[in-house]
Amino acid sequence: MFVFALAVVFKLCSIQFIEGDKYRAMAQKRSIKAFEIPANRGNVYSADGSLLATSIPKYDVGIDAVTSSDKNFKKYIKPLCDSLAAFTGKSSGSIEQKIKKARNTKDQYLLLLRNLSYSEFIRVRNFPLFKLGSVRGGFVYSQKTKREHPLGGIAERSIGYERKDDKGYYTRVGIDGAFGKDYLRGENGRRLKQRIGKGEWKPIRDINEIEPKNGYDIYTTIDVNIQDIAHHSLLGQLEKYEAEHGCVVVMDVKTGEIKAISNLGRNREGNYYERLNYAVGESHEPGSTFKVMAMMAALEDKVIDTSTVVDTKNGRKMFYGRPINDSGQGHGKISAAKALEVSSNIGLATIVDDNYSSQPEKFLKRLRDWRLDKVLGVSIIGEGKPVIPKPGDKIWSRNALPSMAYGYNMQLTPLQTLAFYNAIANEGELIKPRFLRAVKEFDRDIEVFEKEVLVDKICSDETLFKIKDILKNIVVRGTGQRLYSETFSMAGKTGTARTDYADYEAWRKDRKYVSSFAGYFPADNPKYSCIVVIHKPSTKVGYYGADVSGPVFKRIAQKIYTDTPLIDEIDSVEFQNPQVVQDFEKFNGLSNTYKTIMPNLVGMPAMDAVAFLENMEVEIKVKLSGNGIVKKQSVSENIKLKSNQVIVLEAS
Amino acid sequence: MIASAHSADKKVFEISRMSNEVKELRSAFVDKRGKLMRLKKESYIETEMKKKGIEISMNPPVKIKVKPQ
Repeated sequence: MFVFALAVVFKLCSIQFIEGDKYRAMAQKRSIKAFEIPANRGNVYSADGSLLATSIPKYDVGIDAVTSSDKNFKKYIKPLCDSLAAFTGKSSGSIEQKIKKARNTKDQYLLLLRNLSYSEFIRVRNFPLFKLGSVRGGFVYSQKTKREHPLGGIAERSIGYERKDDKGYYTRVGIDGAFGKDYLRGENGRRLKQRIGKGEWKPIRDINEIEPKNGYDIYTTIDVNIQDIAHHSLLGQLEKYEAEHGCVVVMDVKTGEIKAISNLGRNREGNYYERLNYAVGESHEPGSTFKVMAMMAALEDKVIDTSTVVDTKNGRKMFYGRPINDSGQGHGKISAAKALEVSSNIGLATIVDDNYSSQPEKFLKRLRDWRLDKVLGVSIIGEGKPVIPKPGDKIWSRNALPSMAYGYNMQLTPLQTLAFYNAIANEGELIKPRFLRAVKEFDRDIEVFEKEVLVDKICSDETLFKIKDILKNIVVRGTGQRLYSETFSMAGKTGTARTDYADYEAWRKDRKYVSSFAGYFPADNPKYSCIVVIHKPSTKVGYYGADVSGPVFKRIAQKIYTDTPLIDEIDSVEFQNPQVVQDFEKFNGLSNTYKTIMPNLVGMPAMDAVAFLENMEVEIKVKLSGNGIVKKQSVSENIKLKSNQVIVLEAS
Repeated sequence: MIASAHSADKKVFEISRMSNEVKELRSAFVDKRGKLMRLKKESYIETEMKKKGIEISMNPPVKIKVKPQ
């Protein structure tokens, strides 16, 4: 007995003193933990303050099918499955089968519902069985913070997101991705916490504590209304023409703010959604929209004038052994301006080849001066690189120059083309397209973004005047004629480019086009510039730029036109109708003279007559039959009226 | 000492309860805001109004402005 007691004392001491430190450390480890306090990510707003992206908690709910007792399980499984069925719309039986199977195979985690909002989560938590909690009911959940786009699929790619994978690499898409690191992310905090009851942790004093710093909010330039229209009209055209993908961008002429940007691509099922940021990232052969640049170079160098005659032959002309074709039967001898209006490939190729073939550098320098060979440097990551060939390059040949004249053998992104057209609309000032207005912390501005000028003046006012005139005429009588509207004005250039231009044989097997329209509106004193590019429309339905892309442009132009009130200014609202004045004077005169004596009311409008009598100084009763002009009065003129006397008026 | 530790614990529970409430309200707010934004969209109004035979005007509204005298 004594030996036994000794052994107990010995064990006690050994635990207390010899292994004490180990156990104390273990105890602390279990009850004290360093917590990372996540910083709240900032919100992304549109120009008018609508939420474009925000972070909200989302829940995944599962069931531990093993933990509940047989009695509870039997009692509640049916009502639980009924509730889940009502919640998800699936059949109650199949859910029950799944859960029972999990219980048989001793599955401790069967995922039932994903991405529930908090209110949905609360509802599910109160379902039968789940109500009993995690141990008795087997209710298992995990919470995560998800980035939500309240607008849904609209501009999803441009608003973007930022995702961190297990290795710590970031995938950065759109505005949210581009500005994540600098503004939105914030900094996580860290502090020690001690375990207390109910699964909660209490913060304790910690000198190494770091406060979390919440991310800033960013205000973009996106206008939700224009974005909405751009998205839906693009979607409509893509569906109509069964096109592969397309994009539309609307830019504010004076400030370079992007008001709307929509990129839609088709998935295997044939539905369209925001897949890639084509407008920013996709360099492609611009085709006819580039003829404007070629024409401007020639005008600015004064090698031609708008009236210079070019021979476009009968729709086919050989350049260094390779034919260039025009659609249709050709236009014969026309002016340079007309060549652009009807979008003649031969016309533009002839102008550029005749004047620059001996000195291609002069032409290329123009393009470099307009920064067409460089990326714009927009904030969204992944901007496509333009390709402008020069002598010595692999893709340079004698044919390169005439090809470039109508937008082939070179590449630009839609945004770069748009920036250039915007410069035409903005009196020659080339501005960088931008997506951000300001960065804010609540109401305080952290950073405000101003317009960035890339080139002060791309060309002389004279050239600008000429090219604007041509762009306007394209819509009035050129290739954009079908878009013409009497009520509002637009200016722009159509483009119908062949895909795989270099490989004619490949193209012949699979004839596909890129239809585009770039321009601005209103034609005089432009407010917005816009580009629409639609890739590979079904040739059975149509493929011309004016038919495929033009309507999107027109719809946006029309929307902005109908949203801007016309203002009619008038000098004065003081307007006197002599007839009214005369009537009023007469009425006034009568009421001043006849205060207790019956006046002659015949010929007066009934309404006035009644009002007159009721306003007399004697209380009388008026009975009116009919309406219109008073024909007869029961009391004749100049009779003194008694109080409560009844007067009958007959009107026609 | 013990009393204040308990009162601190109580505050922690209170904070956790309230932050859950914030989460709930925030989630509800974003939910409703998103719904409102979808309802407010011109494209949505356009399709809804089409059922009633109302279409978007081709002409902008006219504002009448009186010049100051």
